[in-house]
Amino acid sequence: MLSRTAEGLFWMSRYVERMDFMARLLDAGRRLDSLPRRDGIPLNEWTSIVVASGSSDTFPSDPKSADALSVCEHLIRDTSNPSSIVSCIDAARFNAKAVRTSLTAEVWEAINQTQAELKQDLANGLDRKHLTQFLDKVRSRTILIGGAITETMLRNDRHGFVQLGKWFERADSTARLLDVKYHILLPRVSDVGGGLDYLQWLQILRAANSAGAFRQIYGRNLDAEGVVDLLVLNSDSPRSLRTALSHVYGEILTLASDHDHRHRDLVHRLRANYTQLMDLSVPDIFAEGLHEWLTKFIVELNGTAIETANVFGFGAKEVSESL
Amino acid sequence: MYNEMFRQSDLRKEYSVIDAWLRKHGPEALLERQAEAEALFRKIGITFAVYSEGDDTDRLIPFDMVPRVFNNAEWSIVETGSVQRAKALNCFIADIYGDRKIINEGIVPAEILENNPAYLKEMNGYRPPNDIWSHIIGVDIVRTDEDTFFVLEDNCRTPSGISYVLQNREVMTRIFPELFEGGLVRPVDGYGEHLATAMQESAPVNCKGEPTLALLTPGQFNSAYYEHYFLADLMGIELVEGSDLFVADDKVFMRTTKGPKQIDVLYRRIDDEFLDPEVFQKDSVLGVAGLMRAMKAGNVTVINAPGTGIADDKSIYTYVPDMIRFYLDEEPIIPNVPTYCCEREEDYAYVRANLADLVVKEVHGSGGYGMLVGPTSTQQEIDDFALKLAANPRNYIAQPTLALSTSPILTTDGMSPRHVDLRPYVISGKTTSLIPSGLSRVALREGSLIVNSSQGGGVKDTWVLTEGNSNA
Repeated sequence: MLSRTAEGLFWMSRYVERMDFMARLLDAGRRLDSLPRRDGIPLNEWTSIVVASGSSDTFPSDPKSADALSVCEHLIRDTSNPSSIVSCIDAARFNAKAVRTSLTAEVWEAINQTQAELKQDLANGLDRKHLTQFLDKVRSRTILIGGAITETMLRNDRHGFVQLGKWFERADSTARLLDVKYHILLPRVSDVGGGLDYLQWLQILRAANSAGAFRQIYGRNLDAEGVVDLLVLNSDSPRSLRTALSHVYGEILTLASDHDHRHRDLVHRLRANYTQLMDLSVPDIFAEGLHEWLTKFIVELNGTAIETANVFGFGAKEVSESL
Repeated sequence: MYNEMFRQSDLRKEYSVIDAWLRKHGPEALLERQAEAEALFRKIGITFAVYSEGDDTDRLIPFDMVPRVFNNAEWSIVETGSVQRAKALNCFIADIYGDRKIINEGIVPAEILENNPAYLKEMNGYRPPNDIWSHIIGVDIVRTDEDTFFVLEDNCRTPSGISYVLQNREVMTRIFPELFEGGLVRPVDGYGEHLATAMQESAPVNCKGEPTLALLTPGQFNSAYYEHYFLADLMGIELVEGSDLFVADDKVFMRTTKGPKQIDVLYRRIDDEFLDPEVFQKDSVLGVAGLMRAMKAGNVTVINAPGTGIADDKSIYTYVPDMIRFYLDEEPIIPNVPTYCCEREEDYAYVRANLADLVVKEVHGSGGYGMLVGPTSTQQEIDDFALKLAANPRNYIAQPTLALSTSPILTTDGMSPRHVDLRPYVISGKTTSLIPSGLSRVALREGSLIVNSSQGGGVKDTWVLTEGNSNA
């Protein structure tokens, strides 16, 4: 396959996944925003959403002053933000168009149609009333595109690079979503582990579509350790870091050639990362500090993504390493 | 004026199926289906960009649903006439970059090479496989009555439009399968294999084994990108851009995820001047440095070869009938339109005096830009054009306004006749042939003679009836 084609497939897929993540983040923001709070004590959930989205640098004002409207505008419609939903679907379509010969008609149509419809929905500005409706649509469209990929693409290298893009982005997204909680200041230290703390973790889990799964898996009420276990270490969850990394590792194993030493080096690096994650426990993570551990994870993940791009002949693009 | 649907006032039997279909549905219902067809085109992504509009909006080329029909006998004229022409044009290009017999024998003047940007001196002495330079030639043909066809111009560089021919048929068979019942129309499905075979047959001398084919596109911002994608997909070959390619050891490689892979036959859809910054435009990023070296070393075949524009220049056009006689020892099957070259003094005088009756074109122009259609122009437009003409007569040719045949199109007021032309695509590998269809372009404005899509023309599905149905 042409390296440029691999690049297009990889980034098409990453941008679709990123679009989905932006919708999930905003949904989390909306849910956090609606939690009851003490009078006079401002919470800063919208600031944490901006930080977690990696958009602090492009946010037009001080992220500390972020509110629902400005964050929605920046993460949905603002084209100066390369990760806004509009930027993501534009970039996904741009990449898809460049590699159309490598896509099935169904995948192309799903992306093409999604772009047209989302743009139409936003043509008259962002309507607060229809925000949840819009975010739901973004998520259902992502599922449609994913379904088209699963149901119509041959299981060859093309499919491999699409999967690779998706799982790299998924790992990055889940790590960032977990980190949202770190940035929301609780009013008092004693609130940690209290009611508000619990409710916030619940919203994070909901944004990851995993609230229902929690009780199924753990058979107990929700707590921070459980959330981290589910989203980092659980092998059954489609959103966990372990699942994402195991797919990245698996795809690379298939795509890499035995004859190229750079390919072999990449495989070794991923195997080491994956093994490390398999040996890890929740207490290990908390001992290091969740935020610190997540930051380290994201930096290493981006390093691997850059090496992957280089190994397969397409250079790295913007990859934000800041949290 | 000749309306292709009728013989005198009687419906031609070739159109009886279409006539019954038009009557059964009625124009209103059909116009609704037209919207369906357009939605289908947009969904598939068949769009083109118009450069002068300065944005990257994807637009649809207007599609008229009433098919245009050729019977067997009519098609045979088009087919033999285009093949003959393509053969002669290829002989001419080979001759110009070789021995120049046609010039030495005084049939074509040597001056045609002077100051001619289409003539590439770098190609002198090159010999492509099978001596074929222009593997895909589009021959623009018009008709003035039942038996009279003219060739309006030749396209020997990188003619476009074949994707519309194939997709128009695809959309028609999807929306109106009943029209095609019983094998009335000769299918066009073979084009991909036909072209791929010609490319394989054109493998360079140093290629051993199965040649690797690729299609070179300027990228997705090009107005014809859809077609590039479509053709690469149809043939199952890589669609490459300049940045995917590099030349090493006089061989062309593409960068792949498994390392470099050599390309043997490259169907390029970029202009000569951008092909190779080592030889042509220095700042071009669309092509690849070293391509010409690789080609001359016999390591890659470029399709169509560089320099083929020498054969489709409007000033060369007038000599094509002579070429047919000279190289093939045959009489032209389809004649040229009588043409006045304004560089000749007596022709210029005639054109000056008769601007109101003539069509005047730039010698190197294309796409219907910068031309004058005398009979439909105002006196002011004619006077303005006369000034441009006087400033540089050599730059213009003129032809009488032909009474182009018409074909009915669907309008909100029912059926209405519009002028049409036809571009069949002749493919040359080891043999020269074409598929039984071509691009029918139709003027959408009443009375207009300009059919170019960049000037608001549309397209139609073009049928060639199977033998049994032609004589029914």
